[in-house]
Amino acid sequence: MTASQFVQFTLVVTGAPYTSQAPQTALHFARAAIAAGHTIDRVFLYGDGVQLATNLACAPSDEPNWHRSWSEFLSAANIPAVACIASALRRGVINDEERARYERDANNLASPFQLLGLGEWVESVASTSKVIYFHAGG
Amino acid sequence: MSVLIIIDQAPYGNWSGREALDMALSLAAFDQPVSLLFVGAGINWLRKQQNPAPIQQKGVNRNLAGATVFGIEELLADQDALQRYGLGAEDLLDGVAITHYDQDLLANYLHVVCQ
Repeated sequence: MTASQFVQFTLVVTGAPYTSQAPQTALHFARAAIAAGHTIDRVFLYGDGVQLATNLACAPSDEPNWHRSWSEFLSAANIPAVACIASALRRGVINDEERARYERDANNLASPFQLLGLGEWVESVASTSKVIYFHAGG
Repeated sequence: MSVLIIIDQAPYGNWSGREALDMALSLAAFDQPVSLLFVGAGINWLRKQQNPAPIQQKGVNRNLAGATVFGIEELLADQDALQRYGLGAEDLLDGVAITHYDQDLLANYLHVVCQ
């Protein structure tokens, strides 16, 4: 393959883990894309997709842990990962800064996710990246 | 570079449409051209005289009335959806254009988002 055949992707996940297949399908796509030499410039969680960024979910030990699989993949591949801050705050996914701002007892944003605005998604849409959406379906 | 955001869920029963609208408003805030298309049950977003106060929600028609002020280029209603729900142009908010949700329409946009 020549360099021009490689694509830069942004992945947008809007379906929640254990409710929809979206995070799982997106992870399989991401692994395949990286393995084929493509790049992923950003993973953006939106709507119910932000549930993937909590570090308080406890999957039964005999089931796949999509939270941990995603976090490990993102860290290993060094891919910037963003949970939409407006979606996340509504659904109880907060970092330490928001915990202090809203005077909550705990924070639960998993590493390496950051809480940022829709501007991050707009930047991908306005760039040359190919933006792929993983919705809940149904 | 023009984006089309498609809303296919009825208002109030589901949060995805509101979050799709936020996506459109966000693009507009960054001066990116964006239009909204309402299809299927999503056509009900465009009805005049909605009254969601009894279920403690804000009227989506009020959000949409401000959409073009905030830079959203077009509010589009799918003709088939209007027929399915027995709606005519007179039932819709001001500023809505009626169109056909088909390949020719989608070909006008580089980026299509359907929640």
